[in-house]
Amino acid sequence: MKILSPLDSKEEVKELIQAGADEFFCGLLEETWHRKYPVISINRRPAGKGHFRTFADLKEAVSMAKEHNAPVYFTVNEHYYIDEQYDLVLDYVKKAVDAGVSGIILADYGLLTVLKEMNLSVKLQVGTGGTVFNSQSARFYQRMGASSVTFPRHLTIDEIRKIVENSPEIEFCVFIINSRCVNVDGFCTFEHGLSDQSCFPLYRNACMLPYHISLSPQVSAEERDMGDIIREHRFLERQHIWETVHVDDHPCGACALYEFREIRINGVKIVGRGNTLERKVKDIQFLRTLIDRLERDNLSMIDFRKSARELYQNTYSRPCRMHMCYYPEVMEMPA
Amino acid sequence: MEQALFISKVDNLKYFEDTDEFARLYFGMEFCERLIPDAADLKKVISFVNEKKIDFTLVTPYVTEDGLERVERLLGTLAETKPGSEVVFNDWGVFQVMDEKYPGLIPVLGRMLNKMKRGPRLLNVLDKIPEESVRYYRSPGITVPKVREFLLKNRITRVEFDNLLQGIDLERTGDEIKKTLYLPFAYITTTRLCLTALCDRPDKVKEVGITPCGHECQRYTFYLKNPIMITNLIRKGNTIFFCNEDIPDNLNMFDRVVIAPEIPI
Repeated sequence: MKILSPLDSKEEVKELIQAGADEFFCGLLEETWHRKYPVISINRRPAGKGHFRTFADLKEAVSMAKEHNAPVYFTVNEHYYIDEQYDLVLDYVKKAVDAGVSGIILADYGLLTVLKEMNLSVKLQVGTGGTVFNSQSARFYQRMGASSVTFPRHLTIDEIRKIVENSPEIEFCVFIINSRCVNVDGFCTFEHGLSDQSCFPLYRNACMLPYHISLSPQVSAEERDMGDIIREHRFLERQHIWETVHVDDHPCGACALYEFREIRINGVKIVGRGNTLERKVKDIQFLRTLIDRLERDNLSMIDFRKSARELYQNTYSRPCRMHMCYYPEVMEMPA
Repeated sequence: MEQALFISKVDNLKYFEDTDEFARLYFGMEFCERLIPDAADLKKVISFVNEKKIDFTLVTPYVTEDGLERVERLLGTLAETKPGSEVVFNDWGVFQVMDEKYPGLIPVLGRMLNKMKRGPRLLNVLDKIPEESVRYYRSPGITVPKVREFLLKNRITRVEFDNLLQGIDLERTGDEIKKTLYLPFAYITTTRLCLTALCDRPDKVKEVGITPCGHECQRYTFYLKNPIMITNLIRKGNTIFFCNEDIPDNLNMFDRVVIAPEIPI
């Protein structure tokens, strides 16, 4: 089970490998794209931090990573592109392949079709935007030329287990830490990053904006008594949950590493293009410690969970919280 | 222009009473596998459309392995009782099953797989961004000839569209692929961390996950307002919608309109 880490610059490579990263994913933004599409991403990350700036830098980073047998995967994973963007998109892909990346991470079936026809010398990987919720969907992408799939965030461990069992010929990656999106990424058509931080309502993710929320019950006013109305007011509280927390307040799924090791998950993904090097290192070291314990110490599930929760609290100074747990069913199990 | 009615519950066949303006019925669920109709309901609806002598489209959601089994049962029933029907798929796994097992059913690319941006905030920036960006927000992926070629090769000759607030530019999308416009409810986003599930249980206020539910979505609808959004958002079940009743100027680029009298959840 490999740790897939974000990578934003060549300067980060050595430290992230020392921390325990096995492989990397990254994106790149050039002026040629940004000039035409300042608020439209080519790789699911808004302009600003979190991108390589030149293919020369990318090439150096890939070369450094390869010295440590760490592949670098390149993201061109916007949910869809239109015809007039293709010259730029394919130019990015070709330059990334020339820079030595090991694979392209994408989400658009159209782009996958085109890249398959190009017979590139790199792996084609379907990211979470491909919305693979079942084994037949994995088969579809495999037939299209994909060698691996990253699951959506919104699957339970048992659901993941069933898909993996029914899909022996494709590799799978799961989310394990950071940015637990409220909505299904590949089906979410909100656009993030429509402004810089100077305009908070356009900058903030739409799912976390403060809303005035009202309720329309499917019963007439005559059928509701005062008690109903008070109860309804109380349960509106829950509808505000995503504006009272931040989806990147160290969400974590590390307890599930135990099952993921058993069920043939190939990689665990740390979200975090744009995070500081310090945070990336901390996240990798946290996971590396746990994976090493799993592989070395033959722990029972209960002992592993206990160990994971203690390490989480010590590392991030936070308790485990259901709304920040990637696989909250583990919270119902003893630890 | 063909007009179709879209319902997600058998009871809503009532919207068909006293009208002959619809030549087709859409029936099914796009957003939640827990609300997939059962075969008995499907048979009732098929009897209805046969009686009315109208065409039929089954609508299917994105699905886990368990949900896929339920969809497969419906596909089997449909292939047997109403061959030649359309099936809107919003999951490539459902398409894969249709492609391999049900060649007699006609696949239609659902609006969830037509990934044009829908967030109403976009309208705040349209006059501030380059024209290339505006064209992106108004154009679909089927502007790409290779995408159309792929769809046609796979017998997919129809793509579904929401009625986007920023408008839809269908130039450069060719004639081979037919386009459907959904009115008036457009979906924006969906989740399996459903905030409507068990929403009237005070002890569950802090619980968010893929948890059991009591189909609370059938009782409650939430309206979300924020000044930056050009229109109100509507949370129905696990999905957020907006309502856009303005008919686009280029309506003639669509050959079918699908009207949902209620939010289809």
